Formats: sequence, C-alpha cells, structure tokens
Amino acid sequence: MPPLTPTLSPCKGRARGEGGSGGFFVLSQLPDFTLLLGQLRSGLTTAMFLFLIASGLSLIFGVLKIINFAHGSLYMIGAYVAWHLVHYFVGNSFFGFWFAVLVAASVVGVIGALVERLLLRHMYKREELYQLLFTYALVLVFADACKYIWGTQPVSVQRPDVLAGYMTLFDVRLPYYDTMIIFIGLAIAGGFWLLLNRTSFGRIIRAAALDREMLGALGTNVSGLYTGMFVLASFLAGLSGALVTPIKGIAPGLDVDIIIEVFIVVVIGGLGSVWGTLFGSLAYGITLALGILIQPRFSIVAAFILMAVVLVIRPWCRTQLQALAYGVPVTFGFLFLMLGTPAGIIAGLAVIAICALLIFAPQLMRRRASP
Amino acid sequence: MTITRRAVLGLPLALAAMTGIAHAQGGPIKVGVPIPLSGPAALYGEPALKGAQMFVDELNKAGGVLGRKIELIVRDSKATPDEAVRVAREMILKENVDFLVGTLTSAEGPAVSTIAKENKIILIAPIPKTDQLVAPKNLHPYIFRTASNTTIEGRTAAEIIAKWTDVKRVATIAHDYAYGQDVAKEFAAHIKKLRPDIEVVDQAWPKLGEADYTPFINAQMSKKPDAIFSAMWGGHFVTWAKQAKPLGMFDAVKNRVVNGGEAGSVEATRALGAEYPFGIIANSYDLPTYKDQPATHKAYIERIKAFTKEDPPSSWPIMMYVAMQFLTEGIKKAGAVDSDKVSAALKGMTIQTPFGPQTIRAKDQQADRGEFYGEMIKGPAGAAVMKDAAYIDPKPFMD
Repeated sequence: MPPLTPTLSPCKGRARGEGGSGGFFVLSQLPDFTLLLGQLRSGLTTAMFLFLIASGLSLIFGVLKIINFAHGSLYMIGAYVAWHLVHYFVGNSFFGFWFAVLVAASVVGVIGALVERLLLRHMYKREELYQLLFTYALVLVFADACKYIWGTQPVSVQRPDVLAGYMTLFDVRLPYYDTMIIFIGLAIAGGFWLLLNRTSFGRIIRAAALDREMLGALGTNVSGLYTGMFVLASFLAGLSGALVTPIKGIAPGLDVDIIIEVFIVVVIGGLGSVWGTLFGSLAYGITLALGILIQPRFSIVAAFILMAVVLVIRPWCRTQLQALAYGVPVTFGFLFLMLGTPAGIIAGLAVIAICALLIFAPQLMRRRASP
Repeated sequence: MTITRRAVLGLPLALAAMTGIAHAQGGPIKVGVPIPLSGPAALYGEPALKGAQMFVDELNKAGGVLGRKIELIVRDSKATPDEAVRVAREMILKENVDFLVGTLTSAEGPAVSTIAKENKIILIAPIPKTDQLVAPKNLHPYIFRTASNTTIEGRTAAEIIAKWTDVKRVATIAHDYAYGQDVAKEFAAHIKKLRPDIEVVDQAWPKLGEADYTPFINAQMSKKPDAIFSAMWGGHFVTWAKQAKPLGMFDAVKNRVVNGGEAGSVEATRALGAEYPFGIIANSYDLPTYKDQPATHKAYIERIKAFTKEDPPSSWPIMMYVAMQFLTEGIKKAGAVDSDKVSAALKGMTIQTPFGPQTIRAKDQQADRGEFYGEMIKGPAGAAVMKDAAYIDPKPFMD
C-alpha cells in the first residue's frame, strides 16, 4: 500500500488504518470519526433540502387530499425565476440574491393561486386517478413552458460571496451555504409547528384536514382556505427551488428528478404530517449518506428499501416515528446482508432480527393475552 | 363525376404511385433523424440537429449529391428507446426515408440499430457512446458510429492521469447507468494496465439525476485519492462541481481531476461562470478556437455561429455535421442511394472533417473520433476556457 501524502488530505484526519478499496465497513474496524461526521453533515443537508420541498407537498396532501405531481415543477419554476432575476436584474450580491429568492418564491405562489383557483378546484370531487392525471398533465405543461422561456442549456447562480466560504468543526468542513439551509429548514419546521398548533388558523387547517364539509357548515370559508394552503405550499416549493440554485445546475428535468425523492420522503414520513415529513427527510438523508459507505453501488436501493420496510412495518407500530426508528436500522441490516460476506450476513441478520423482535413481539404477546 | 367508394379507396394508391414515380425521378434523398427534442436530453438534441441542418442547407445550395437534394425528416425521439424505435419505423414505412442519421442516448442507439438491421437501412449514430452499439455481437452492415465511445473516453482519461507520476491513488465518479459504468470501468482497467502501481481507491456511483452529491464527495475524499476521473456531464457536472468546491475536493487533489462528459464545452463553462473548478482537465467535442486549428475548422465555426446565431457556438452541432458528411461522402463514393452499396463504401472510408481527417474503421464500423482535452483556466470574460487544448487522437489505444 503506498504511503499517504499528508498534503493531499482533505481535512486533517486522525491517524488510522488503511481501509483499502473495499469500503471501510469491514466490521472489524470502526469507521473514521471525521468521515462519519462528514457523512452526517451531508445527510443533514440532503434532508433539509428535501424537507423544504416535501413540506409543501405534504401540506397539500394533508389538507387538500391531492397528490400534487406538479410540485416539482413549481420548484423548477422557482429555480428558473431566481436565476432570471439574478442574471438579468439584481446580480448575486447577498441582498440581490435574497431579493431574487423571495420574489421567485412569491411568483411561484401567485402561479399556485392561479392553478388552484382556475383549474385544481374543479378536481376535488373527482376520483384520485383523475386528480393524479391532471397534476401530471401540469408537469408536462410547465416543463415545456420552462423550456420555451429559458431554453435547454443548464444555468446556475453563483453563491453570494458572503456565503461562499466554509467553517471547520471537528475537522469537518461546513460550507456556510449548507449550514444556512439547515437552519432555514429547521426554522420552517418550527414555523409550521407554531402555525398548526398555536394559532386559530392552524386549528382551522387541522379541522379542514379532518372534515371539510363540517367546517364549511360551521361558517368557515373553506375554498379560500384551500387557495391559501395551495399558495403557501407553492411558495415553499418556489423558495426551495430558488434556494437550490447556488448548489445545483438548473436544467430541464429538475422537476422530475426531485419529485420521486420527495415522494419517498412524504410516504415514509406518513402522508400529510409536517413532523413526519421532517423525520422522513432526516431518515432519507442519513440512510443515503451512511448507506453509500456500506454499499456504494446501491445508493438508490437504500432509499427504496427504507420505503418498503417502513410501509411494511407501519401497521405494527403505534406511530409513524416508531416505524421510521425501526425502519432505518432494518434498512442498514439489509445493506449489510447484501455485502454477502459472512460478517456482513451475520451483522445484517442480527440487526434485522433484533428489530423484528422489538416490533412484533409486543403485538404478538398482546394478541395472545386478549381472549 | 360521382365519387365512388372505389375512387376513394384508390386515391391513396394513386398518390402513392405518383410519389413513387417522383422518387424514382430524382426527388430529394430522404434522411430520417430520430433525435430528442423534448425533455432533458433536448439540451443536446437541439444544437446537434442544427449541425445536420446547416450541412444540408449548404449541400443543397451547392447542388446536392448525385444531382439530388437531401431532405431531413426530423422526429422527436423523446430520449427513450421505445419512442426512438417507433419514430424510426414510422419514418421508414411512411416517409420512405433512405437513411437514418440520429439517436442521442446510449439507450436509443442500440434500439434503433435493430430497426436499421431489420429494414436494411443505414443508421449513422452521431452521439451515443456505449460500446455495446458496435460490439461484435451487435454489429451488422447497417450500423455506423461517428461518435467517440466509452472505451476511447475512459482510456484517454487514463492516458492523461498515467502521466502524472506522483499519483498513486485514483478515484472515479460516474452515474450508475450504461454510459457511466462503461466509461469508469474502462478507465479503471486501462489505468491499471498503464500504471500497475496505481490503486483505484474508490468508485462512486450516484444515480443519474442525483440532487445531492455531497455524501459521495465526502466518502470519496476520505479515501484520500491523489487524482479523480469524473464522468459527470451536462447539468449533473454543474451540480457536482458546485457541491464539491466548498467541500475542498478540488484543492485536496490539487485540481488533478480529469472530467469526461464534455465538461469543457461552452455549455458547461457558461453555466458555471466564475464557479468553474479552474485547473481541472476537461474535454469537449468541439471548441470555438484552439491552437493550430485547420482553416476548415475556422471556417466551420464562422458558419455555425452565423447559422445558430450563437457566440460562442455550441459544441454539439459538429457531431451531426460530421455524421451527415460521412453519409454524403458514402453516397458519392457508392454512386447510388442504396444502403448496401453505401455501407460497403463507408467501411474504411476516410473523409476530411472540419477538424481533420476521420476514418470509419472497417472492422467495427466505428470512427476514430477523439475529443479535445485541456486544462480549464479562467478566461478573459471570467468563465473557464480550455488552455492548450489538444485533439487527442485515440488511434494508438483503440483495440
């Protein structure tokens, strides 16, 4: 094994044994602390971005009971509008960038209002299949509209200078921009919690999710509420689209690429719950970031295993959070299992068996106890 | 005259007969072009198509080939093999196209190749890079490729990295699908052959369209590579580079990154602007200008600028331009608009493309198409430009 050149080390890592090309998870040897922290940082950033986008989708599903495929399109429009403003009008100074972000999010909010008022409201009483097809049609229309307006070449926004650097924590680089996104995500989660649980408007939203007709009968303007919810969700989609411009190339396909991941997040978080969506994004981000350390080839599979496991064990768990808490280790169990080495198989089976025991045993015992 | 059922039924037949006659009398030579014009791949389909259109415009003005004009029949392949096959069939059966020149993705190319074989109509693939397209088991007389391929691209990158003598540990990052897998595997195999002392310490396989590469970048950096081969392309390259830069990846390997996937094209440099990871080695199909460029290339660039009204012009039109050029030269040499004769003419044929001579090898009907490689530095306008760009001729390391 050739010696390491110290100048090449990305961050001043502590001394450790050579892992070789087989990945660090040989199980005999614990992963490097710095690497784990770095992966957690990455997972957290991934999670917060997904949460920003998924929260709006989850809100629409929770209240309007519509699966909005076009949510990814609204996100893409937000990205393009922000780029347009930065590129042609305000420039990428700190204030210019934020101005562009807020205007872009508002523009998308207005588009959301138009979509809801003019089109979507005629779909509420239709079957789910028609609603799904309708929002899918919107995806195609928006995609072509974006292509018509902004062309097909990838574009991107430069990070404002103030946000371009990074700080170092425990030898791990934390780019300012990513750190800011993590805080914005947490702030939005907190804002949601306050809105839903501590305001009268939040009470109405929760009531609308439960029984829309009863709420109308009690004198609430339900159709206005629906528009408001859709605008809020669209605003969030536009906001996340605009915020993603400094760390992502914007090109056709952005809409479809993101919507699948966001759907996984919303599904594993339990449809329609904001907290669920937050924890769903965290579970997704962490599974992706740590999963590729075990199975570099199966980064996609890890997310789908997680979804399948959560869906299967959900009926056996009391809360969605519990399902997630068991789902993540079980997913890692499967990833170990897929290593195919004796150590991997033993570790995988052990993790899965322990989780299965914890999930099923109380239920089975209760069942036996009941007459 | 009363319109009888027989007359109505007969009308299409009569029309067909008339067009048949027109055909025989030297109407235009019809070339079917299945190419993605919608969806994400339109990004490349549209500029590539312009190269074919300009070539045909110029050719027809100059009198065409064998005294006949060329007419392009263009269909959107939507970048899916199903749709590409459907439109290719439709063009052959309904439009009576004489040849096919097109397809873009590595999924479309092999799919339409089977249609070409079935109908005995030549398909010239100008862009798909997968080795499978003209692999011995898939080869037939009607498939030709004027694009580079994954073997050439992977090996070129390996040749470059092998020259950096202090590099002992390399890593690769490529998307987990046909193109990415083929090119990264070929790279790894070739670098081991050239430099047995080099170890491939990590191969990252994000999915195509991954939104967040930071977990992959971070894990790769922990393996402490001295150099990286990346096959990120298009908007994916933009995203990857933007995320890798603040994590210090390019500094950690002292910018010793060779990026395939046309990361040196004007499309990529324009998108990234001042955020481009300056100092890396990247490639491009074509460049607005380079050292010792032949006069033919200079002239081509002026024409494509005027035709597309873009400055700097896209790097993609050259691909379809050269494919059309090969087809035309093949027809000229065969002296007939007949796929069998043109196929025989194309095998082993050398033509003068805007950037120099190109040969379609007889043994696998693959052109010896290399790409331009060079160090990306900050240009006068702030965006990256390729310094000392060189066309790397793949002949020495093609099988």
